[in-house]
Amino acid sequence: MKRRKQNTFIFWLFLSPVLFAFVVVIVIPFFLGIFYSFTNWSSSARADSVLTFIGLKNFYRIFRDPSFLYSFLITIIYTFLNVISINVVALVLAVVVTTKLKLRNLYRVGFFIPNLIGGLVLGYVWQFIFNNAIPAIGKAIPLLAGFANANNLILGKVDSSIVALVLVGTWQYAGYIMMIYIAAIEGVPESLIEAATIDGANSFQRFTSITIPMVAQAFTITTFLTLVQSFKQFDINVSLTAGGPSTMFMGKPIFGTELLSLNIYNTAFVANNLAEGQAKAVIFFIVLVIVSIIQVTVNKKKEVEM
Amino acid sequence: MKRILAVAIIMVALIGSVFATGNKEKAPAKGVTITLMQNKPEIDGMLKTYAKVWNSETGNTVIIKSIGGSSSVTLGQQLKADYAAGSMPDIFVIAGKQDYKEWAGIILDLSGEKWVKDTSVAFKNNGKVYGFPVAIEGWGLAYNADLLKKAGIDPATLNNYEAYKAAFAKLDSMKTQLGIDSVVSMAAGPQMGWVTADHNFNSLLANGLPYGDMTVVNQLLNGQVDKKRLSEYADWVGLLFKYADKKILTTGNYDAQVGAFASQKAVFLHQGNWVDPNLKAAKATFKMGFAPHGSMHTTTDGIFVAAPSYYVINSKSKNIAAAKQFLNDMVYTSQGQDFMVTKADMIPAFSNIKLNPSGQLSKSVQKWSKEGKIYSWDQYYFTGDFRSLTLAPIYNQFANGSINEAKFIELMTKAFESLKK
Repeated sequence: MKRRKQNTFIFWLFLSPVLFAFVVVIVIPFFLGIFYSFTNWSSSARADSVLTFIGLKNFYRIFRDPSFLYSFLITIIYTFLNVISINVVALVLAVVVTTKLKLRNLYRVGFFIPNLIGGLVLGYVWQFIFNNAIPAIGKAIPLLAGFANANNLILGKVDSSIVALVLVGTWQYAGYIMMIYIAAIEGVPESLIEAATIDGANSFQRFTSITIPMVAQAFTITTFLTLVQSFKQFDINVSLTAGGPSTMFMGKPIFGTELLSLNIYNTAFVANNLAEGQAKAVIFFIVLVIVSIIQVTVNKKKEVEM
Repeated sequence: MKRILAVAIIMVALIGSVFATGNKEKAPAKGVTITLMQNKPEIDGMLKTYAKVWNSETGNTVIIKSIGGSSSVTLGQQLKADYAAGSMPDIFVIAGKQDYKEWAGIILDLSGEKWVKDTSVAFKNNGKVYGFPVAIEGWGLAYNADLLKKAGIDPATLNNYEAYKAAFAKLDSMKTQLGIDSVVSMAAGPQMGWVTADHNFNSLLANGLPYGDMTVVNQLLNGQVDKKRLSEYADWVGLLFKYADKKILTTGNYDAQVGAFASQKAVFLHQGNWVDPNLKAAKATFKMGFAPHGSMHTTTDGIFVAAPSYYVINSKSKNIAAAKQFLNDMVYTSQGQDFMVTKADMIPAFSNIKLNPSGQLSKSVQKWSKEGKIYSWDQYYFTGDFRSLTLAPIYNQFANGSINEAKFIELMTKAFESLKK
């Protein structure tokens, strides 16, 4: 009896630092944020500013804001492309580095390293590649001369800028997802593969009928991670395109590649509407939770129970 | 039981150490400590050196915090975070009316200070002085005098649209001869909205008007657009964009823009005298100066000169006297003047200071301002929201070529009309 009491005490004691940090930096700001989204909060000393409760006015405004609606749309497109791109690339890399390849450990490390570089730095590096390196290549190789034309700059048009964002997002994140796939692929029992080989299945059949269903559990987690990561994309967005180039939407000029996080940031800190930004963040949170729950439920159904 | 005790003690010690660090910074026995937060990282080192000098002179300590210079955080954001955390600096920087509004509740009235009579560019609101001008800055169109001479163009003639149009066409036809890539180094990319929607935009607001004349600003804030003025301005923007290097124009950053001018790949640069240190670092030794903007068909003989930012004192500060003394000493002690002009290479905003900065463009600004040929900076009467999130995308589309000049005028007109309350 005494022993159990001691254990409980130790349990909470060890948990307390984490719990403390979690409550202070996540739980309290979260509820405070929801509260602020119903007020005119500005976090500054305006002459006649008193924190007042303004009900749903912030929410009313943001759903009439073309830039927010556009960001929503573009974020969904970006997320869709990014999730597919990251997962396909990661799975291919994982399959490649789990074969009996020479130097495969070196490849694993190589593919993973971009994930260790901060997104801001990555963005600036790739901005240089898109703006300077690729046109320079275009100048040097006659076949690729189109890239040297200033009208064809990859970051100069909205569509290709989105593709650039997906490319850099994949480059950064595919290595990490690859690690999860490697663990899953290596967990597939050797006996199943052997049995299938004896039954005459070729390597493609073995991959689609055994490996894929067996790694379905990994799909749940990787899709979830990539989905959330893409939805929340901020650092690459800010450093690579900074929201540009701009375009028209609902008759208003707006930034063409401004993903939701960047839109919230701009609302809060450029437009100085902290409360409105907070309201956008609340909507962002709700949408992300709903999408994630749907995704996890759907994926769970496809998993194979061992 | 002993083990639990040991663990508990370690925990307490750990948590204690986390909180203890916050209280260690005790002020030295002599004097008080004030905090200054500013937004010019390029003068951070000089300011800290001066802070040490000031400390040995007065016994008071000043902690310098420099924010900015990257896209990660701006001064405005940092101030908001600090305000929410209850640790506002004693002295901080505002850029103009919109910033003033944001902090009006805690900005101290400085009308009674000694330096007020020695400057004409202090920040005032309703007749009261609130802001200490950090420096004087100016921009026009910076030109490479050597290249202009080679092309046979006299920079003194560049002061209206027609003159620029002819000069740009001539320079463009002499590209290989002069070894240039483009005539103007202009940037309108997504990260460069401040060049178009702040600096260039000011041509529409202030060019050709008496210093401090607010008629155009007030009209636009009321949603009234002077069609002729706007269309002449649009011609000017179109001209700059037409003769700019398209790569720098649409996707280039500050380094690319200034770099093209420094390496003599462009004859003109659309920036202000703050590029002097960058040009010095790039070892650009050619002769240069500022020419007026050609945003109008009539001659506008002057460049845009004002104080870009102001030190203000936090009225809730416990050390107001020390903060006031710090600002005063910058103007009236030789060490302070040495810091502002010689070390930080800024143009002093105070008439009692006789030192001169070394940069060529700074000297050019001084020359224009001594001749009284200056126009004001009015862009800060418009919100950051309006400039960065409404106007900047319009310029960007015009630069990309996705809209033409007529559409540019239409969108600008619509944007101003939306300001009407």
